[in-house]
Amino acid sequence: MIFSSIPFLYYFLPAVLAVYFLTPRRGKNAVLLLASLAFYGWGEPKLLLLMVFTIAVFYLCGLAIGRSEAHKKAWLLLSVAVGVGLLGLFKYADFFLTSVNAVTGLRLPLLKLALPVGISFYTFQCLSYTVDVYRGTVPPQKNLIAFGAYVALFPQLIAGPIVRYSDVAKELDGRIHSWENVGLGLRRFVIGLGKKVILADNLAMLVKLCRDSGSPSVAFAWLYAIAFTLNIYFDFSGYSDMAIGLGRIFGFHFPENFDYPYLSKSVTEFWRRWHKSLGSWFRDYVYIPMGGNRVSKAKWVRNILIVWMLTGLWHGAAWNFVLWGLMFAALLLMEKALPGLQKLPSAVRHGYVLLAVILSFVLFNAESLPQAGSDFAALFGCAGLPLFTKETGYYLRSYAPLLVLSCLGATPLVKTAAQKLGATRAGSLLEPVFWLGLLLICTAYLVDGSFSPFLYFRF
Amino acid sequence: MKKHQTIFVLVLWGTLALWAWVVPSRQISEAERRPLAQKPAFSVQTLLSGKFREDFESYSLDQFPLRQSFRSVKSLFHTGVLGQKDNNGIYLTNGTAVKQEYPLNRDSVNHALGRFQWIYDQYLQEDRCFYAIVPDKGYYLAEESGHLAMDYDALYVQVAAGLPWAEEIDLRPALTGQDYYRTDTHWRQEALIPAATALCKGLGVTAPKAEDYRRTPVDRPFYGVYYGQAALPMEPDTLYLMENDTLSQCTVFDYETGKTGSVYDMTKLDSRDLYDVYLSGAKALLTIENPNAGTERELVIFRDSFGSSIAPLLLTDYAKVTLVDIRYVQPELLEQYLDFHGQDVLFLYSTLVLSSSAALK
Repeated sequence: MIFSSIPFLYYFLPAVLAVYFLTPRRGKNAVLLLASLAFYGWGEPKLLLLMVFTIAVFYLCGLAIGRSEAHKKAWLLLSVAVGVGLLGLFKYADFFLTSVNAVTGLRLPLLKLALPVGISFYTFQCLSYTVDVYRGTVPPQKNLIAFGAYVALFPQLIAGPIVRYSDVAKELDGRIHSWENVGLGLRRFVIGLGKKVILADNLAMLVKLCRDSGSPSVAFAWLYAIAFTLNIYFDFSGYSDMAIGLGRIFGFHFPENFDYPYLSKSVTEFWRRWHKSLGSWFRDYVYIPMGGNRVSKAKWVRNILIVWMLTGLWHGAAWNFVLWGLMFAALLLMEKALPGLQKLPSAVRHGYVLLAVILSFVLFNAESLPQAGSDFAALFGCAGLPLFTKETGYYLRSYAPLLVLSCLGATPLVKTAAQKLGATRAGSLLEPVFWLGLLLICTAYLVDGSFSPFLYFRF
Repeated sequence: MKKHQTIFVLVLWGTLALWAWVVPSRQISEAERRPLAQKPAFSVQTLLSGKFREDFESYSLDQFPLRQSFRSVKSLFHTGVLGQKDNNGIYLTNGTAVKQEYPLNRDSVNHALGRFQWIYDQYLQEDRCFYAIVPDKGYYLAEESGHLAMDYDALYVQVAAGLPWAEEIDLRPALTGQDYYRTDTHWRQEALIPAATALCKGLGVTAPKAEDYRRTPVDRPFYGVYYGQAALPMEPDTLYLMENDTLSQCTVFDYETGKTGSVYDMTKLDSRDLYDVYLSGAKALLTIENPNAGTERELVIFRDSFGSSIAPLLLTDYAKVTLVDIRYVQPELLEQYLDFHGQDVLFLYSTLVLSSSAALK
């Protein structure tokens, strides 16, 4: 089930909210767990078994790590083996087999397993749990229902943010339910819904039009690249907003995942603002354990390359994702090696980051390396395409207001203006009407049937 | 938000949700002319296979309260606020809804030409053959309103090259953008005298005269197919019937039902699509007998729905006009019903069908 759908907004969520708030405090985690399993099972009922198995394994390993000082490393390794093994089996096995076949000429059969939705997100959450219990950062969760609710928690189950157990451990055992939380959560949820349905989905239409065009041009290729860059931001940050908002309604405080990444003036800064929960996960559970930057220069470079290759692979089992990650590794290393870049004018640094990010997303969204090659050729006028076509002009005119609105929405301008407006008496009075209006406009889009799945579901 | 404001939003959201839960199911959408999805039956098997989920999602969309109003809100927001030049591929220009037919599907045109060639090879070696392409209204309205349209010139060239055995009758100069319904794909019968004249001249028969017909309005508003698809605010069209004594004495034989009726099927005034009043709408095989024809000549028209409204205007000289719609009958079966023996033969197809011809059998 996806948040931006009529079944979720008008059937599932109202029913869950009603039952949740009518249930006594001690039963609320059970309601969340059951609702989350229903949410997950709605899309993939057969894969519920995998979810239940994952919960059981990590719950037991957590308990064992907490109880047995002598064998805690073994239990940790077991949990990591299970988590990484399942992820490898379902997500990377065919990629590995295809690559082996390509290199060796063998014809090893592919497994063709369906990718469980959200497996990368919940596996990383589980891994952070057992590692943190092993490190003694958090005590093991003894209540299976509370632990199950953490792993399967539907607001962030399938597209993040990656909520570490330590982020919500206290709130799992006891959290505050208040009208303030509900109001703030509701507002955040509707903001995310608007980002997804009004901006991201319409940008996705433009991306599709550019991709399917029978009359491509250099300008159309750039329109595609810019549209996808905005599309993926609003798609993913919209989902994160909805997740954070839903969490708040239920009394949880999830970590922020985005901080206006397209304002960045270096790639290093970009990754501090983009998918923050993933970046910090790799930093704390991969980069620092390998020595981080407190090692020799060669090992440090190795660490950077490994972390960014894994970051690329996390996004998808394909070589373009590996290259995508390594591209950022190269840019980060370049920024470290050339500190003088920081002294360039602000506009130049900003332009460099935007260009790098736009080109990176062209690589990211390519279905294969050859397609990425032809996309880059189109962008830089090497594909024999005209600079501009009538079709390009039409879609540019048609989508110009959306592109301008999206560019503004990627900055704090809209938020600042809304806050100023909200501080006035009229703005304060009209605030609920605005959010309700936004909800109804999103509903209108969904009823018209023009929605698309979240991009990050495939990760 | 303050507590009472939060409650306000939740209550209205919840009310709409409750309405969605309890609203009785509707069977059809008049505006979209399609049956609506119904509540799916639950079983473990349909749940595990994912069918229940898919069906329930369709049901929740189709049966959502105030669905048509929500679709209008979306259309207005999409075009008015986001400035999109079309909504679901349909745009409004001067109050007329136009479907953006873009780009030209050459493969589809080739498919249609292949079927026409088969018919010619099989049945029409001894007949005088003609063809006329009915331009969709985008031909007249797209460029001036700044929208995309298929490459019509390329389409005409492709069709001419594909039908060397047929003589072209060009309808383009005989039509304007105003000769089509504002809310529908089709042309208006009362505006077709110039087009019918062009066809009759090409066929070498007497052309219709406007003064020979009475324009009778149908007393029901006509909401065409684009009205429902676009969900944009539009006034309905008025549908007129071009009537005279000759037409009222003609009889129409429907090979599917074996029944004989009249040129204008007044029972269709209660149907979803008012345009079906012309020759009863979608029919595989019809024959119009004209007892007052000026000659004994016969005409066979291979056609789509545009043919339904113009065929009555071609009857002056023809004693018998046969209409064949190969979207509903296999051309291979025609020899069971028709005898091709030197009639005039006209292929009358719209650009819409030519560029989307998968339905041609």
